[in-house]
Amino acid sequence: MSGNSSFDAIIIGGGHNGLVCANVLARKNKRVLICEARKECGGMVNNDITNYVPPVTSAVSSSIGGMQINYIPKTTIALSETGQHVRLVGNQHIDHKSISTFSSHDADRFNDFHEKMSKFSKTLGSFMMASPPRIMNNSFSDYFKLFKLGLNVRLLGKKNFNDFARMIGLNIADELEDNFENTLLQGLIAHDSVIGSNLGPRSPGSLINLLYRMAIHNNSLFGGIFQIEGGNDQFTKHLIEKCKSNNVEIKTSASVKNCIIENDCAVGVELNNGEKMYAKKIISNADPRSTYFSLLGSQNLDTDVKRKIKHHRSKGRVAKLILELDKLPSFNNCDDNDLDSRMVIAPSIDYIEETFNPSKFDKLSLEPTLEICIKKDSDQNPKLDIQVQYAPYKTHQGWENIKESYVESIIRIISKYAPNINECIERKKLLTPDDIESEYKVSGGHWHHGEIQIDQLFMMRPIPGASQYKTHLDGLFMCGAGTHPGGGLTGISGKNAAKAVLDDF
Amino acid sequence: MTQDLRYSALKKTPFHSRTSLASRTNKYYNWNGYTVPTEYSTTELEYTAARNGTSVMDLTPMGKYEITGDHAHQFVDYLVTRDLSKMKDNTVAYIIWCNEDGKVIDDGTIFKFSSTKFMLCCAVKIYNWLNDSAYGFDVTITDVTDTIAALAIQGPTSCSTLKKFGATDLEALKPFEMREYKIDGFDILISRTGFTGDLGYELWTDPKNAETTWDNIEIAGKELKLRPFGMYALEMTRIEAGFIQTNTDFMAAEDSLRPTRMRSPYEIGMGWLVHLNKNSYFVGKKALKKEKEENTTERCLVGLDIDGDKPAHGSVIYNSKKEDIGIVTAALWSPIMKKNIALASLKRPYGIKIKENIFAEIYHPEELEYRKIWARCKVVKRQFFNPERRNKVPADLYE
Repeated sequence: MSGNSSFDAIIIGGGHNGLVCANVLARKNKRVLICEARKECGGMVNNDITNYVPPVTSAVSSSIGGMQINYIPKTTIALSETGQHVRLVGNQHIDHKSISTFSSHDADRFNDFHEKMSKFSKTLGSFMMASPPRIMNNSFSDYFKLFKLGLNVRLLGKKNFNDFARMIGLNIADELEDNFENTLLQGLIAHDSVIGSNLGPRSPGSLINLLYRMAIHNNSLFGGIFQIEGGNDQFTKHLIEKCKSNNVEIKTSASVKNCIIENDCAVGVELNNGEKMYAKKIISNADPRSTYFSLLGSQNLDTDVKRKIKHHRSKGRVAKLILELDKLPSFNNCDDNDLDSRMVIAPSIDYIEETFNPSKFDKLSLEPTLEICIKKDSDQNPKLDIQVQYAPYKTHQGWENIKESYVESIIRIISKYAPNINECIERKKLLTPDDIESEYKVSGGHWHHGEIQIDQLFMMRPIPGASQYKTHLDGLFMCGAGTHPGGGLTGISGKNAAKAVLDDF
Repeated sequence: MTQDLRYSALKKTPFHSRTSLASRTNKYYNWNGYTVPTEYSTTELEYTAARNGTSVMDLTPMGKYEITGDHAHQFVDYLVTRDLSKMKDNTVAYIIWCNEDGKVIDDGTIFKFSSTKFMLCCAVKIYNWLNDSAYGFDVTITDVTDTIAALAIQGPTSCSTLKKFGATDLEALKPFEMREYKIDGFDILISRTGFTGDLGYELWTDPKNAETTWDNIEIAGKELKLRPFGMYALEMTRIEAGFIQTNTDFMAAEDSLRPTRMRSPYEIGMGWLVHLNKNSYFVGKKALKKEKEENTTERCLVGLDIDGDKPAHGSVIYNSKKEDIGIVTAALWSPIMKKNIALASLKRPYGIKIKENIFAEIYHPEELEYRKIWARCKVVKRQFFNPERRNKVPADLYE
């Protein structure tokens, strides 16, 4: 090996998973270096991209020595053009009460629905927190893990087991229409099932997306949605402080060009400025596509691996619109509490599906679904942070030509709920998936570094053969959201990856 | 008049007007979507020409792929298990390539024109594999199967035939070298390569030139025992030479449905083509390295010298305890060796450490009844026939 390995591990990318991974390793007395291409760490966890976060599990928190972060629970409100909004605070009994104000039928069904979904998400969740098994290994512990999932599913009871089997490939729209009559409630739950994904409510598999989301949000539909006190970037700041106290070295503005490979093993990284650094293990926090094609290099990959990575679906469908305001607009029939809530504009399943349809053909829908969050900027001026669902990754006309009219169409939608919005806007900024890709170096600009769908989950995440945080190159690991269990600001990928790396030392 | 779809479904090669004229038996088969003769007159006669004179075979249906671009050399070296980093211009190399599990997909020959231009020839179609493998390399893969007419000119008098045809100084060409000629106004590439294990050449030219070339070679070989030969005779010669045939001696990894039927290079006697110490990565390297390190190779492909004179087609091979240890993949009574030979895939250690007390169960058909023969076999070198003239430089010339 040329050069000396001055570090035990180099982590490429200082996103939250990279930071978690670094801390876990450092607490086991490993010398860790993080190379972050941007000026600051944190990746997509910042005040620009992230609106709401799930809570960090105690397992992740304790693996890095505890996290002192205050989570503020948030209510969800589904906006209605008529002003008959649906407000949901998360605890199913409270939800039940708020739903009963507009439909006693739905309120009755809600408890059962929530209980069932919660049970299923717990079953999946028990599997999600640990490293996925590797079937090819023929090892007892791997089979045991799989057996345990099977057992957990079976222990749900015959009726639930049949229901689980029925629902696993189902679309969320069918399930919601079977249960609820209020289109606004249907639209809201459907919205949460498909947000961040490439599926419409009527696409097969959209239901498992919701279970996945519930599993990381306290197994609850609306109860696990939080903001971090002082802004979401507090999360990153806290992790960086942890890094400092654990003697993790962080190098920012250090864009990694590729891995240095010797004897078919990753031994270091080469920066874009030509600087070379060596370590015993290299861990990539980048998305799978970048990890394989840029860091590892296609000349070092087997053909079959290239095929799998090429087919890995990672095109983002969510754009971020930031409206800086000089004053808060008045939303119809909303009080101050409502303005502090997560506001969703997705009035019905059909509305979402119609938004989804053109995106399949890389076209824009001028009536997108929106998740609105009211924040304050550093000067205490209000701003609207809006997740715009089904903004295609690339458009035929080219984003630069249609960005402006797209922003106008989004504002037109909001004005139906807040008629004076136009008078309040000072500045507008739209981040398309394309922008997110180049800004944060995430292929496709996908939130989760890859679709959360049944064929890209568990042992298949990101691709079969690389599902245990190891890549196909010895010495190179992955710790990003592209690995099991995936995105959502949980840090589980980072923690599990660290364990895989430690096992390899 | 309605067209007979049975024939139009298969393409005709540029030599078809000549091969069909030469065919006395009307026996054809489908090779990669082309119709080509299996036999022109009698296989024995064609075989004899290949071993004593010159034999001509239409090779056009062979998969031919041009690989061009700045990364062509790098890509070819990545594609195959053999170290080609030092391959010289105007040479040819015998190669195999594997999938990610280190299982063989096919074998073939690679022609290097320059570091930015190669041609790959193989029995089956592999355009998709090449294209998918090429992702990330600055190369263009072009299927030139239809745009290059190819002939195999094999046998002891093949050099003399081609010299008369117009290939000057051909005798100086070393094995696995190639040279471009201009004959009758057409560019003709001649390589000293072949599938018969004898002195022989392969000729590559424009399809427009095919018929003239065939005619002129026929005239040139008139006094040199020239004869067109078909697939059956080729099969005889290739077994004698110990050459392997995809989907006959082993299942191509991309074609086999059962994972246990796929074979690594070490299992089909192609270990010598795997260079694990190659500097760069190649497809399957990781798996092959592991197989070598952990010594998990399960089978081997060996030559068998079998008692008696009844060919052991498809025979099961047994040890002395009558336990099944393998199968014959190709068998032949070799007229030139006067030996009963076969290629067999055996379970290790048979064939590697245990070479004696191996038996073939031969079912010899005799007018609707089988005679069952229990024949003793000896494991021998797979290359049964390897005459000195094959690699001699300058090549033998005859008047």
